[in-house]
Amino acid sequence: MHRRISKQMRNEWYWGWFLIAPTILGLIVLNIIPIFQSFYLSFFKSGDFGKGNVFVGLDNYRKMADDPQVWHAVMNTFLHALMVVPFSIAIALVLAVLLNGKRKGKSIYRTIYFIPMVAAPAAITMVWKWLYNSQFGLINVLLAKLGLPKVEWTSNPDIALVSIAVIGIWSVIGYNMVLFLAGLQEIPKDYYEASDIDGAGKVRQFFVITLPLVSPTLFFVLVTSIIQAMQVFDVIYMMIEVTNPAYDKTVSLVYLFYNNSFKYSDKGYGSAIVMLLLAIIMIMTVIQTKTQKKWVNYM
Amino acid sequence: MMKKALPLLMALLLIVMALSACSSNSGNDPGNATNKPAGSGENQASEQPSEEPAEEVTLTYAIWDSNQEKGLRQIADEFEAQNPNMKINIEVTGWSEYWTMLEAGATGGSLPDVFWMHSNEIYRYASNDMLLDLTAKIDGSEKVDLGKFPQGLVQIYNFNGKQFAVPKDFDTIGLWYNKTMFDEAKLSYPDETWTWDDLYNAAKTLTKDGKYGILTPLHNQEGYYNFIYQNGGTVITDDKKSGYDDPKTIEALEYYVKFIQEGLSPKIYGDAERAEAMQNGLAAMGFFGSWNLTGFTENEFMAQNFDVAVLPKGEKQASIFNGLGHAIAHNTKHPEEAWKFVEYLGSKEAQERQAELGVAISAYEGAAELWVSSNPTFNIQAFVDMVDYAVIRPYSNTTAVWEDKAYEALLPAFSGEKTVAEAAKQAAAIMNESLAQEK
Repeated sequence: MHRRISKQMRNEWYWGWFLIAPTILGLIVLNIIPIFQSFYLSFFKSGDFGKGNVFVGLDNYRKMADDPQVWHAVMNTFLHALMVVPFSIAIALVLAVLLNGKRKGKSIYRTIYFIPMVAAPAAITMVWKWLYNSQFGLINVLLAKLGLPKVEWTSNPDIALVSIAVIGIWSVIGYNMVLFLAGLQEIPKDYYEASDIDGAGKVRQFFVITLPLVSPTLFFVLVTSIIQAMQVFDVIYMMIEVTNPAYDKTVSLVYLFYNNSFKYSDKGYGSAIVMLLLAIIMIMTVIQTKTQKKWVNYM
Repeated sequence: MMKKALPLLMALLLIVMALSACSSNSGNDPGNATNKPAGSGENQASEQPSEEPAEEVTLTYAIWDSNQEKGLRQIADEFEAQNPNMKINIEVTGWSEYWTMLEAGATGGSLPDVFWMHSNEIYRYASNDMLLDLTAKIDGSEKVDLGKFPQGLVQIYNFNGKQFAVPKDFDTIGLWYNKTMFDEAKLSYPDETWTWDDLYNAAKTLTKDGKYGILTPLHNQEGYYNFIYQNGGTVITDDKKSGYDDPKTIEALEYYVKFIQEGLSPKIYGDAERAEAMQNGLAAMGFFGSWNLTGFTENEFMAQNFDVAVLPKGEKQASIFNGLGHAIAHNTKHPEEAWKFVEYLGSKEAQERQAELGVAISAYEGAAELWVSSNPTFNIQAFVDMVDYAVIRPYSNTTAVWEDKAYEALLPAFSGEKTVAEAAKQAAAIMNESLAQEK
């Protein structure tokens, strides 16, 4: 009896491993090995074309600690995440709740909100760049029609990061919404029917039933959104050049990593910067997994 | 148990997923053998045709300017007609991505066979043996004679006495002006007699009704570099020190930034936005290199309203001058064929074709005149006239690094947060620091 179960178990194990093998292999080759390679490289002064790397110990990390630009980038990255994450989650959740019920044309709306996710980030940024154009952009033209002054959306150091965050929020809402919709479908209708009988209003239902029961999805969305927002690169890369006055106020850690690694060919320093980002994201994710017990309800 | 393990596992997976996005890029590891199979795989693909009886050889030719693709395609077609067994595959990649692509190719051993080289990058590629030494080939060639090219350009691509590229073209910077706006203001057009004062006065007169007289953005080659050399200043000294703290340089920068401070120039920073400001009649004058010619000619508004003149003179006349070269990968599978193509591109025949077709100002002696007649829309003779007193774009072994650092340091001067002198001194300090790290 005992033996037969373990045999069956083993069989299942084999199948399990077999089925996840492609993913695991992909992760190891494309993700895990490069992480360790980057870590290794961060202790070197990299030579050109991967030749002649010189071991420099912690020099890159020391240089990083003294580099005000890195700390600007850390600030900018946090600020960006702080703007994008709460807004994108709140808006996506509200939209998901609205589009979850029986409503005419809800699949059309769902499609519309999801479209930004399908378009390439570079293409999206191009369009936003035109909208934001300080001289001829649609937004400023409309402002001028209303008699308002022109705004330098992408070159005013105080505004540029907000402009970038708006693009980030806009493009991620649809994705988060779809995840929330999936979470909402899991909630049994009985709760709502019971609370209807008890006389609870829609708003109260949202806070007392929907929010607690969708919290596992919320947790997932929160963790992924933060990681994604911390890695912001393409929008800033395409919109903010080094000659832009807002450069210091918008440069993100990944942008700085890119510039150092590929533009200035200092891959060792670039790797050190990306290790800093890794550490930050890791700490934040650990904190979130630790504190989730307090607010996430697994049914 | 399961409930606890699942979220933890999920979080772990997420971290891995998240990191991959940035880490996978830096996977070009020192001497990493795993890169090689990909490269050789590509080579095999291009080798396959050679197994056929015709023995056709396909060369990849990498460039960064899509404006030149059409004309170069025509030249390549003519080359193919003369060499029926060869095919040229032109690959265009935008300027900044071009260098990322080339570096990845060099690291992974899959460089294009023939590609454009630039003064900013030649040192890195030449000193690391990424380019084929062309010295002997040029010496033995009947078609290519380096004596027919401007010596400054030839020198750029000479490293330790070896020649690594054959000059392709050159470019200078011109003063583009809106004729219609000049007519309306009853001003005479800029010409070779113009001085800095004339430029300033014209900019002042032309600035009105929400239009700006001039465009002076934070741009080195198509901007303040020209003024620095017109004022007798320098960006980099002969012993590789920064020239930003030279009083003459600071004086020129002050003159240049004054246009922005006094509101005579719009505050425009992006590269694309600079051209837009001209094409929408926002600014009456602007500085643009000769490589913009195709784009400007195709723009109806500019073709109708604009013309180009030589740069105004400060203490003396000057324009920044640079030129590309054709280089061959050190590990190309077809060195003979690649040289044949580069030799052709550097020959009198192809250089003249390049000029006639208006692709770029051919570097070959006398070919520039053909280029001038290729474009009836603008007075492009101005670009060729400036060659006599043109200054080679300042460069050293790590140009790309200190150019960006200098931009970052100079920004506060353009936005008015710092005085020009302060910012320039900061630029000098940071540039010297970067230069000190050069090998």
